[in-house]
Amino acid sequence: MSERESGKAARSSSQRGARSQRPVMRSRLGAWARHHRAMCLDSAGRLIRTPVASLLTMLAIAIALILPTALWLSLDGARLLDAELDESATLTAYLASDVDEREAMRVAEALGASPAVEAVRLITAAEGMAEFQQALGLEDALERLETNPLPASVVVSPKDASPEAMRALATQLEAVSGVDEVRVDLAWLERLKRLAELGRRVTLALGVLFGLGVLLVVGNTIRLAVESRRQEIEVVTLIGATHGFVRRPFLYSGAWYGLGGGLLAWALLALGRQWLSAPATALAESYGASFTMPGLDGAGSATLLISSTLLGLLGAWIAVSRHLADIRPR
Amino acid sequence: MIAFEHVGKRYGGRFEALANIDFRVQRGEMVFLTGHSGAGKSSLLRLIMRLERPSRGKVRVAGHDIAGLHASQVPFYRRQIGVVFQDHQLLFDRDVFANVALPLEIQGAEPREIARRTRAALDKVGLLHREKALPIELSGGEQQRVGIARAVVNKPALLLADEPTGNLDPQLSADIMTLFEDFNRIGTTVLIASHDLALIARLRHRVLRLRDGRLIGDQEAT
Repeated sequence: MSERESGKAARSSSQRGARSQRPVMRSRLGAWARHHRAMCLDSAGRLIRTPVASLLTMLAIAIALILPTALWLSLDGARLLDAELDESATLTAYLASDVDEREAMRVAEALGASPAVEAVRLITAAEGMAEFQQALGLEDALERLETNPLPASVVVSPKDASPEAMRALATQLEAVSGVDEVRVDLAWLERLKRLAELGRRVTLALGVLFGLGVLLVVGNTIRLAVESRRQEIEVVTLIGATHGFVRRPFLYSGAWYGLGGGLLAWALLALGRQWLSAPATALAESYGASFTMPGLDGAGSATLLISSTLLGLLGAWIAVSRHLADIRPR
Repeated sequence: MIAFEHVGKRYGGRFEALANIDFRVQRGEMVFLTGHSGAGKSSLLRLIMRLERPSRGKVRVAGHDIAGLHASQVPFYRRQIGVVFQDHQLLFDRDVFANVALPLEIQGAEPREIARRTRAALDKVGLLHREKALPIELSGGEQQRVGIARAVVNKPALLLADEPTGNLDPQLSADIMTLFEDFNRIGTTVLIASHDLALIARLRHRVLRLRDGRLIGDQEAT
């Protein structure tokens, strides 16, 4: 394009002889900017003049955008929940059965002194029994036992809840005298993280698929627009329009479709958030958790709108490039 | 201005539309191109407009072998040629002014320059008072004059016309030809393909005759 433009400028300046090249270049640039402005408005006008068709196209784009965006948002929400769960990650150190209550308090203190430990909570053998009975509802059966078979235990909250740090801490705590065994329930944490990773990949795959969907929707719409303006394209090509000139209005239409679809998706997501927020919060509260419905912040909204506009532009570009080659003046 | 050097054009490897065409048109000449439909008139014009490339031989316009033009240069080449079509190829979704202004807009002229030159071209074809009209509201003769105004609005050095009077009655046809003569008088090279032999004979310009893709006559202006 630039090579072509400069070639044109050079040619016209030589045609005009004495005139210097600079004003010619400036007027070319001015003409280029003017045509961009004109086509930007013209293509918007065309969309507005066929409101139903335009809105349907934008709705199709919006639906394709909503799915991956909503999934991405719920993953974002899950990540917040994830962080909360990390805070509740603990290790349980079971003490040797011959450790008495006073000894147990000493061991708990020793465990709490470790720099990697945030807090400790001692559960004596009696407390352990009570919890066990309550949890299982086996009061009668357990009352028949003459001695308490359960050891005292210490629940340790680590400072760093990552699986590696937890494992390291477990080995360290096992070395403390009076500690029989340290249990770390990492499996569910790791499972959750894997699930989150799976979710991220599914979202990405869906994002790519639905992005392709947007390309197809815009591409097809632009293909029809190109077809309906075939005669105009033939005429302007015959009288010396460049490919860029011919392509420009369609590229702007594509960008407008993308932007419109993005805005519609944004609005529908905001509506959906409103609608789901109350029951979701109530559900979370019933589990004793605080929960705020994830929504699009400024950066997220900008990302949605920019990517939808770019997708529209790209779809139009592909469609126009493909179909302009078919249109050769008769 | 135009030089055909032993030009042949085949379509699909078999059908020979033009064979061994050899002629020259000087700058400032006015030339008619005649022959039955299918004789190759349109193919010849398409070669000049560089819608096609010759299968053999060379087409030179203003000294350049136009087959050598890069695809990106073709639009700039076409801007130097004004073309009038039999079916005038107006855009029906915009008014007369916008139709005539189209070549200037494609070239990126200043809006004031566009207005000035568009009105000048419309004035020349006698349709300045219809600039706001839509093409559909015009008669066939008026539509053709709008097509001519569009072809000459950027003052091309070469004006091509493919059956410009094909659908018009004799009086209107004569008027259109007079317009072409006016442009020729101010230095534009004009090449008109037409089978209106009676009209051509009266105008006494140079006539190139085609038959079955061959040049069978080159009658100088009288």
